[in-house]
Amino acid sequence: MSSVGASPRWLWPACVVPTVAGFAISGYLTWAHFREGAVLACPETGVINCQKVTSSPQSYLFGVPVAVLGLLFFAAMLVLTFPPAWRSPNPLVHRARLLTVSAGVLFVIYLVYAEVFVLDAICLWCTAVHALTVVLFAVISVGTAVLPDQG
Amino acid sequence: MSASGSREQAARNRQQKLEAVQASQRQRRRLVVAGGAVAGVAVLIAIVIGVGLATGGTHRKQAAAPPSGAATAALAQLAGMPAATLVAIGVGDVENPVVLADQPALTEAGKPLAVYIGAEYCPFCAAQRWPVVQALSRFGTWSNLAATTSAADDSFPNTPTFSFHGATYTSDYLAFQGVETETNKRGAKGYQPLDAVTDAQAKLLETYNAPPYVPKESAGTIPFLDFGNRFAVSGSSFSPQLLQGKTMQQITAALADPKSPIARGIGGASNMLTAAICEMTNGKPVNVCDAADISAIRGHLRDK
Repeated sequence: MSSVGASPRWLWPACVVPTVAGFAISGYLTWAHFREGAVLACPETGVINCQKVTSSPQSYLFGVPVAVLGLLFFAAMLVLTFPPAWRSPNPLVHRARLLTVSAGVLFVIYLVYAEVFVLDAICLWCTAVHALTVVLFAVISVGTAVLPDQG
Repeated sequence: MSASGSREQAARNRQQKLEAVQASQRQRRRLVVAGGAVAGVAVLIAIVIGVGLATGGTHRKQAAAPPSGAATAALAQLAGMPAATLVAIGVGDVENPVVLADQPALTEAGKPLAVYIGAEYCPFCAAQRWPVVQALSRFGTWSNLAATTSAADDSFPNTPTFSFHGATYTSDYLAFQGVETETNKRGAKGYQPLDAVTDAQAKLLETYNAPPYVPKESAGTIPFLDFGNRFAVSGSSFSPQLLQGKTMQQITAALADPKSPIARGIGGASNMLTAAICEMTNGKPVNVCDAADISAIRGHLRDK
């Protein structure tokens, strides 16, 4: 069954706000990662220590900075949550969106674990990205559920 | 419309209604699954954070734990080092602190302020913390001093020492700020960051850990100590080589012999720093600052 034009009106705005915010923050973290001498605007009050988190071994996955992965994730979500993608008759698009955001939220759980149990430090900017990913996961999960039956 | 046409229409309507009901049921099931997944994620994150807060996190638990037996015993040995031994050591083989003449007084909450800036990985900082801990223990009380070592992959690897990260020092005579900028573990960009240097501390480094107070080639080195802007020490007062391959227990045991190189290094530097602190506190407390050996070193410092 086709779902063309059948996505709820609230879906795109509900997706685009956390996606754009997440993309912007990930961009900032990526800039700080590659810019020599750049220091994140972040209070350092013991447990709150962005620099410690963003320069830790856990800030890389298979040699790729996590900030870059975040940027790619939100770029992909920007495409996958665009209105034409929600209206796509191709069920693969909807599965790809759900799988991508699910992978994102699982990675967030790992990163929160690493902050709390391994690094003993919390990065406020990273926490903002984590929260936005969870919000996006919730919106996409519910949005996918209320879509008409996919083929 | 014929009778057979009406029956077909009625059948189509029933079919459509049935399909609509089934679609609605499927959508409801999907919503339940989606809601469950979102709730599951929220619960999982809450558990991770909750357990982390409750236990202090694996890493934090270690850092915030009361001082280890080794650290407590070493601190007790340092603080309880017999005066006669310290007198016998004098200034040992250590170098004098740098005199910061006519500089604005460095204070905190009305008390003269001593600042240490170093890092846990740094073997020279590891050596210098011993006399700093001992000298300051004559003026006040340490708590939460933890035992650690310098980095395993730097020069003079695994030099046993204390860490000022998380430690607190209270004294009626002076205030102390101890900053460990990095841990002894490597991260993606070198050693992992630890304590942040405040703007005021950075200014001290910039001003007094540079020419004309220290030679150009050693400017900016750590550890750096500023005693109330009266005296500064850049680098360690004795070589970490003295502590190589020793445990904390072996180091403190060596302090009993005033002729041992370790006692002459740690005790000598401690006496020198004690005299510098006495100059900073205007000779208080008198039982420490008016002791014959410390008075002699103070006189020597004033003559510089």
